[in-house]
Amino acid sequence: MIEISAVRQFPVTGALDASYAQGLAIKVEDLRKTYGEVVAVDGISFSVREHEIFGILGPNGAGKTTTVEILEGLRPADSGKAMVAGVDVLRYPTRVKSLIGVQLQSANFWDNLRLTEIIDVFAAIYGRRVDAMAILTKVDLRDKAKAYTKHLSGGQKQRFSIATALVNEPRVIFLDEPTTGLDPQARRNLWELVRSLREEGATVVMTTHYLEEAEVLCDRVAIMDEGRIVTLDTPDALIERLLAKGFRRKKAEREANLEDVFIDLTGKDLRED
Amino acid sequence: MGGSAFPALLKASLKSYYRNRIAIFFSLFLPLMIMVIFGLLNLGGNNTTENVGIVDQAHNDASKQVIDNLGKVSVLKVQQGDEGPLKAKLQKGDLALVVILPKDLGAVGAPGAQAPARIPVFGNAAKPQDTEIARSIVQQFFDQQSFAIAKIQPPLQMAYQDVQGKNQTYTDFLVPGIIALSIMQTGIFSVAFAFVQQKQNGVLRRLMATPMRVSEFLAAQVSTRLIMAAVQVVILLVVGLALFHFHLVGNVLELMVVAVIGSAIFIAMGFAISGYAKDEQVVPAIANIIVLPMMFLSGIFFGRDNMPGWLHAVSNFLPLTYVTDAIRTVSLDGSHLWDIKADLLGMVLWLVIATAVAVRLFRWQPV
Repeated sequence: MIEISAVRQFPVTGALDASYAQGLAIKVEDLRKTYGEVVAVDGISFSVREHEIFGILGPNGAGKTTTVEILEGLRPADSGKAMVAGVDVLRYPTRVKSLIGVQLQSANFWDNLRLTEIIDVFAAIYGRRVDAMAILTKVDLRDKAKAYTKHLSGGQKQRFSIATALVNEPRVIFLDEPTTGLDPQARRNLWELVRSLREEGATVVMTTHYLEEAEVLCDRVAIMDEGRIVTLDTPDALIERLLAKGFRRKKAEREANLEDVFIDLTGKDLRED
Repeated sequence: MGGSAFPALLKASLKSYYRNRIAIFFSLFLPLMIMVIFGLLNLGGNNTTENVGIVDQAHNDASKQVIDNLGKVSVLKVQQGDEGPLKAKLQKGDLALVVILPKDLGAVGAPGAQAPARIPVFGNAAKPQDTEIARSIVQQFFDQQSFAIAKIQPPLQMAYQDVQGKNQTYTDFLVPGIIALSIMQTGIFSVAFAFVQQKQNGVLRRLMATPMRVSEFLAAQVSTRLIMAAVQVVILLVVGLALFHFHLVGNVLELMVVAVIGSAIFIAMGFAISGYAKDEQVVPAIANIIVLPMMFLSGIFFGRDNMPGWLHAVSNFLPLTYVTDAIRTVSLDGSHLWDIKADLLGMVLWLVIATAVAVRLFRWQPV
């Protein structure tokens, strides 16, 4: 399944020796991608450390999705370098695909297969045998093991989508807007899952439109706009920097917000049936 | 590092197909229903009898003899009655012909009589085929009687011989046609729907994010349809044999070879459609533009001999015509693959064309 020969070629590819990305899950240098006249990714460089939860934020059309898809081996880049899980993804996309886990925005699978059957298909694709029940337990879907995906709620679908990304015990997991469309309870439940993935040693790269989510979940975030990374740091550092510039909110921040009220009144329990 | 994912992909694909009630309905039950309905209607008209009404106005030995002898003609079903009611039945279409034996039948028809007996016969112009058949049979009967009365041998006699030596019925014609039809339906519809759906809901894209070999995935999908096509052929053959006493002469294995190559053509067409179609709603429209003309021009239900010349010429080159002719020739005439090389060549050419178009049009994700 995995092209061993591709791995062996690494030491001879020059720039990509073992020390190049030491301690890094991802290292991107001067990555560029254009679609005709449109510059989607405009020469970005950044690194993601191992065991980090890394957020890529930005308005629609900022280049987040293109960047992530290049790192996932789904799209070629025009120029630049990108190492993912120690492998040059621009040269060996299939090898990278075998090392990473991917959850895409659309969390749909085959209508007529049960969850365990879909997990088994994915395992076979990676040339592995897995305990489908154990993986489903990890994402809290043990009770739904024999269900069809069409009978899952939005949050359950997203968790199942993540389950399919875990069958190959990936070193790097990409999550594309994993909480979009979920209610606050389901979103919090997913945050716990993401944290547990990191606890088990994975690196998580995620995109999101919810900034409060990035603030509580991500160790570091990169904010993209018009194909460039405009800033990259921990959420705390970014906020401190803004405050240091003299920024103050027009209305004084209260100790709680409306979402806190919502959670207080409706509880943290998942509502899925 | 593990083996091929093909077995797991095939297993999943078969399971998924088997659980898809709509796909099973269209690929299996619909052809089966069409076969049973057309088979019971027996649209070819073979083995049917023509109903003929006789009005006996003479009531003498001569008329009785005519009626007796007409009744012995196997393809005629004779009923006697009065002129009024029988003519009413003729108008309704229950009778193909009404023969009136006039009062003076015995006198004028007797040997030595001066004038030939005129026997009025009424037909129904609204049912020209039945009337024509009945008319020629009755005419033939009268001719025989005339020669017998005149005590001469007919100067010209036909020496008829059956060259086929097989008693083939309309259902014998129909069953291979329906097999070809079901192969087309399954190939085109099951692939087109399944892939537009998988493209739309993002499964294909999700799979592209794995190290899956595209060839293994496509092989599993194609194999599923080929297996289903083979199962269909077996079921339709069994029903044909059990229900319609289908005269299967050919080798079933050779039949399968033809079915599988034919199936591959339509699977490729299904891939081409799924590449072109933007969403599931468009699939039936595009698929039917391709399927419906072939369904009626490729000789599934009726022979193509009655077509206008130019249409016949066009229909010769339709993929379904090659498949239908090949299946029919193998199953009914016991032809071997080498005997139908022209049809097989046509099929392979269509397979190449359809595959080339599919490769050009197919997309893994919505554009």
